[in-house]
Amino acid sequence: MSGDRIPLTLRVRNGAAVAEFRIDAEPRRTVLDMLERLRSGGGTVPAYRHSCHHGSCGTCGARINGVEALMCLTSASDLGSPRARVPGGPAVEPERGEDGSVIVELEPLAKMTVISGIAVYPGTAFAGIPAGAGYLAVSEPGGRAPLPPDPTEPRPAGRVRFEACIECGSCVSSCPVAVPFIGPAALAAVNREREKRPERAPAMLALAAASDGVEPCGRHLACSRVCPQAVYPGKHIQLLRNALAEEPSASG
Amino acid sequence: MPAASGVLYTRFMFDPPITTRNRARVCVIGGGGTGAALAYDLSLRGFSVTLLEKGELTSGTTGRHHGQLHSGARYAVGDRAIASECMEETLILRRIAPEAIEYNGGVFVAVDDDDADYAPVFVSACLEAGIPAREVPVSEARSWEPVINPAARRTVWVPDGAFDAFRMPMSFFAAARRLGAGIRSFTEAVAVDVVAGRAAAVIARPVSTGRDERIECDYVVSATGAWAGSVGRMAGFDAPITPAPGTMVAVRGRLSDMVLSRLSPPGDGDIIVPQRGLSIIGTTQRVVDDPDCVLPDDDDVEFLLKRADELAPGFSSRGVHAVWAAARPLAGRSSGDGRSLSRDFMVLDHAAPGAVPGSAGMATLIGGKATVLRAMAEKAADHVCEALGVGEPCRTREFVLPSWRDYYAEETR
Ligand SMILES: Cc1cc2nc3c(=O)[nH]c(=O)nc-3n(C[C@H](O)[C@H](O)[C@H](O)COP(=O)(O)OP(=O)(O)OC[C@H]3O[C@@H](n4cnc5c(N)ncnc54)[C@H](O)[C@@H]3O)c2cc1C
Ligand code: SF4
Ligand code: FES
Repeated sequence: MSGDRIPLTLRVRNGAAVAEFRIDAEPRRTVLDMLERLRSGGGTVPAYRHSCHHGSCGTCGARINGVEALMCLTSASDLGSPRARVPGGPAVEPERGEDGSVIVELEPLAKMTVISGIAVYPGTAFAGIPAGAGYLAVSEPGGRAPLPPDPTEPRPAGRVRFEACIECGSCVSSCPVAVPFIGPAALAAVNREREKRPERAPAMLALAAASDGVEPCGRHLACSRVCPQAVYPGKHIQLLRNALAEEPSASG
Repeated sequence: MPAASGVLYTRFMFDPPITTRNRARVCVIGGGGTGAALAYDLSLRGFSVTLLEKGELTSGTTGRHHGQLHSGARYAVGDRAIASECMEETLILRRIAPEAIEYNGGVFVAVDDDDADYAPVFVSACLEAGIPAREVPVSEARSWEPVINPAARRTVWVPDGAFDAFRMPMSFFAAARRLGAGIRSFTEAVAVDVVAGRAAAVIARPVSTGRDERIECDYVVSATGAWAGSVGRMAGFDAPITPAPGTMVAVRGRLSDMVLSRLSPPGDGDIIVPQRGLSIIGTTQRVVDDPDCVLPDDDDVEFLLKRADELAPGFSSRGVHAVWAAARPLAGRSSGDGRSLSRDFMVLDHAAPGAVPGSAGMATLIGGKATVLRAMAEKAADHVCEALGVGEPCRTREFVLPSWRDYYAEETR
């Protein structure tokens, strides 16, 4: 791996304690790679969640120096460069220890029950997503010819792709709202479902109009700033508000 | 934003009737796709199931695979039976877990003369395996996916797809738990207690408490993939397994909707799989002793990007999004790069003739690939039924699975 190694001090939350590891990482190594290496090297590393290692499963979210991010997409070089210390804040030089190493604090996502270490039950992120919300969306053909006839698919669906949201819960963790609220990930899913399936629009608007729907949102926009997938949940909440304003019956 | 009219959408109740509950308890070790499908299959047949996974579910090989829902075309020339099985299983998965699959078909691309010469052999092998491959003019294939190399010599359509390596197995976990299975993540199996020549209990260590628990059971199945060696040894069994890691590189941009493969005998860096806004080239293969912490080889990245450019020129100019590696659980032992090992799977009864005596009541399920998780589970569950004298048939083809979201949404903590 090219480039000089970056000295890091990982401080991983483990209940009331913090496990500390001093490592020199190649610039491209991710936080997840580092934890994996420490763990296989026999170190007692606090528990963490991971699965895909490329930002698609959504399991490895954590608060890294106070800001929600995916550990599998945050590299040593990212950590050694100026970064925001609050969602959407100005990028500032990394904090360094006495030996000059970059301090990297890993905390579990907020608003979720901790299993152990920085591993959480992500239920809060999932609970408000409407049952049956479709995960497939149209993939825009952009001038390409339609897909060919398919003898194995009697009812071809056209070009499909997954929704952008990987259900990582980063937005939920970052949201400062403290009253009952289904949260940004769920509202983004509610709005996508409303857009994709007109027949379910009234049901989706009813969810948005409930007291734990769009109402508690204070437009802090932390959700949109931390989302690793550019879902912009704040935008979906606004679109739901607009739709509710146009259809007073749904909110009444 | 455009409405998604035409998108396949299924609404259903997951409420399969379990006709007969039997009292047999089965402990499944390993929470990858194979363990997920097995926990579901056994629950559906009425067993009481406890599954142990040392980390998060799918944190072994499963969550990291390439995401190709194999029609079997890749294996058709080499192994007709495996190819047919893939075809059969993709059709089943497309029916029972449609929301975890981006099904858009695939194209095999002949880039050079050797590839072009291989095309007729490839197409006829596919047809013999029941895979409806068909050669199409390059211009037609490029009308679907203009990113295909314009210098391509020949192109063949196949029913390949992409699937979510995490959400597919999580749908099986959601189904298993709905049927009463105990799914214990962050709980490592640390020992198998063999009493009077039979596996009688598994000692489980939850990371949250660190206190060992005894899981009494009538049968144990190790579905620990590349880790099957170490888990087998807990019960004195020497599982023939070769962990064979491969590297993958994801670049930003969805270059195609269809899966693009090199029309040649299976090799390295010959498949591009789209997923959400990414395109992923893979993979490579080497052999290691320890499947923990497989990190990608740096040399692999340059090689893979170069190979990707041959299929889809311009691939390497996209920004690299992530580089990672995962360990294949190849069944068998190998000293080379492991390519000679079969992609087939097997259920190994620890008490079979030739095995170390004293480990009845346990089997190891290894090999295979993520596409055939359901079939692997079926075969292993058949084996458990036979061993315990239970006559329930497999019914996992029948029901549309609940959403993976249910797994976490219903977790009551
Ligand atoms: C690079 C690469 C690309 C691939 N691409 C594809 C593809 O595109 N399509 C496809 O169909 N297949 C693909 N495969 C194959 C596929 O990923 C695997 O066959 C499949 O994921 C294996 O699943 P498994 O459940 O058997 O093993 P695993 O997912 O490894 O599950 C075993 C589990 O056991 C757990 N475990 C181990 N020891 C213990 C213990 N003592 N106690 C408790 N738990 C334990 C591990 O943590 C692990 O989670 C690919 C494989 C590789 C390596
Ligand atoms: S909206 Fe973004 S931050 Fe929130 S769960 Fe989805 S991907 Fe994660
Ligand atoms: S491990 Fe899947 S998003 Fe990071």
